[in-house]
Amino acid sequence: MNDMDFTLQELMVVASSREIKDGEKVIVGTGLPLLGAMLAQKTHAPDMVMIYESGTIEARPLIMPLSVADSRLIPGAAMQGGLIEGLGMVHAGDVDVGFLGGAQVDKYGNLNSHCIGDFDHPSVRFAGSGGANDIASGCKRTVIIMPHLKEKFVEKVDFLTTPGYLSGMDSREKLRFPGKGPAVLVSTLGIFRFHKVTKEMYLESYHPGVTVEKIKENTGWDLKVAGDVKETEHPTAEEIRIVRDLDPTGMFLKKK
Amino acid sequence: MQSSKVMTSKEAVSKFIQDGMTVFVGGFFHAISYGITHEIIRQGKKHLTICQSSFNEHADQLIGSGCVDRVISSYVGMEIFGYLSCWRRAMEKGIPHPIEVEDYSNFSMTARFLAGALGIPYIPVNSLKGTDMMTHSRWMGENKVKLMEDPFGSGASHALVPALKPEVGYFHAQRADREGNVQMWGILGDAPWSLRACEKVIVSVEEVVSREDIGKDPNRTILPAYKVVAVVEEPFGAHPKNTQGYYDVDRDFIYEYVRASKNPDTWKAFMDEWVYGVSDRVEYIEKYIRKFGYRRFAKLKARNMRSESVNYGY
Repeated sequence: MNDMDFTLQELMVVASSREIKDGEKVIVGTGLPLLGAMLAQKTHAPDMVMIYESGTIEARPLIMPLSVADSRLIPGAAMQGGLIEGLGMVHAGDVDVGFLGGAQVDKYGNLNSHCIGDFDHPSVRFAGSGGANDIASGCKRTVIIMPHLKEKFVEKVDFLTTPGYLSGMDSREKLRFPGKGPAVLVSTLGIFRFHKVTKEMYLESYHPGVTVEKIKENTGWDLKVAGDVKETEHPTAEEIRIVRDLDPTGMFLKKK
Repeated sequence: MQSSKVMTSKEAVSKFIQDGMTVFVGGFFHAISYGITHEIIRQGKKHLTICQSSFNEHADQLIGSGCVDRVISSYVGMEIFGYLSCWRRAMEKGIPHPIEVEDYSNFSMTARFLAGALGIPYIPVNSLKGTDMMTHSRWMGENKVKLMEDPFGSGASHALVPALKPEVGYFHAQRADREGNVQMWGILGDAPWSLRACEKVIVSVEEVVSREDIGKDPNRTILPAYKVVAVVEEPFGAHPKNTQGYYDVDRDFIYEYVRASKNPDTWKAFMDEWVYGVSDRVEYIEKYIRKFGYRRFAKLKARNMRSESVNYGY
């Protein structure tokens, strides 16, 4: 396999898998985060514990689940409870890592899953928070995964569903959530971290074939860039092989 | 011995679900009672407030059919299957009429049921703080959620959410006895707390079993009979959703609904075919097999992965 033989979606899966440390408890949804978590388990984090908000603990699915409440998650799991068990463990601050997405994100990692436009008269109405708000409030740290489009990376979200660092600085800390907030954002164009003091998002690395200029053009505020900004580390051939094995029919990953 | 509560979904819906009620709709992605949902639509119930931690296509069908005025939930969607068109038409364009929604998070919804089940007026949660869900409310006004400092002196503030006690609830489960002791396994969602928060509950089940069978594995009972007012035996009652140990999700059928619902005319044709065009679940299954063939129907059947039984001896 040549060094660039991977898609940006596959790169995102690999980047999110690298955010998980061995032994951690991770709450996963479906799609790319699930692939990332499964990849981590098959590579550097064999002892991670996968938790689903619907109360499945230590799922060992034989077939890729299509929902956070897929029946195929259950045989082989260590425990099956309900939402009070699954999300309750998140709520208590027991879970290390959670994955999040949304329709919009702002520079402090706040997410919108409710609507585009005015909340009372939305031009588009989405499904709502689901467990996202609980995961962002309770998990020790979160990983945000987003397609990078200018209309999604906005100065101010139309509705604040899920707390990132709120208005920056110590505004999140003051509310004393069990969780500490987003650690990283992985987009289709780059990887972003949050400044230790201001809590503002900055560009850490750009994906292969993407420029800093292109990322700034697709971001709805004046994006800060790390002094040592570099290209995102490439996936290994082994990681790409595993990801493709996990999703052979391209249910979550568009075929290259 | 208590008297049998076994009846048809027609009888249960007409007897226990009245216009204007607050109705808990059970099932978190798994084991959703489509049999009873479709009966509510056929009987043309109106002005319902429906509540559930997270809703799927069944809510879309109730909203599109004009049964619903208000929704209390954290989610009205369908994950990777796409988005719900009737929900969006109602929220964006007021079709067939405008609906109101009180938005919570998944956990804070479940916590509201937990408070209801325990008979306490409210419960503090770590969620919701700092968000627009704290400041935006509809008919509940300032009683939707309140921020309060911990009276025990930790210095932290929490969102307090009020107990939710629906007038009636309905859900689907694997089995119950004739009196209404219900056993369920697999994904439980906000059950059992949501069920225990309801004043009364209608349950549809894959199988009615004997009281003796329930007593062989009482840890699996999620709702005791005293809450249950009706037991409806409806095999395949959660289709196109799954019921653990009985049948899998019918993904092709759900995608067909997603496609049909994008346009109000094709949505109506789908509802005419699968809801108004049948009188009950038996006719629904017959229609399914006639249209798609027995092979497709049989393919949904769950494989055998039985648990080991445990010793309850003493």
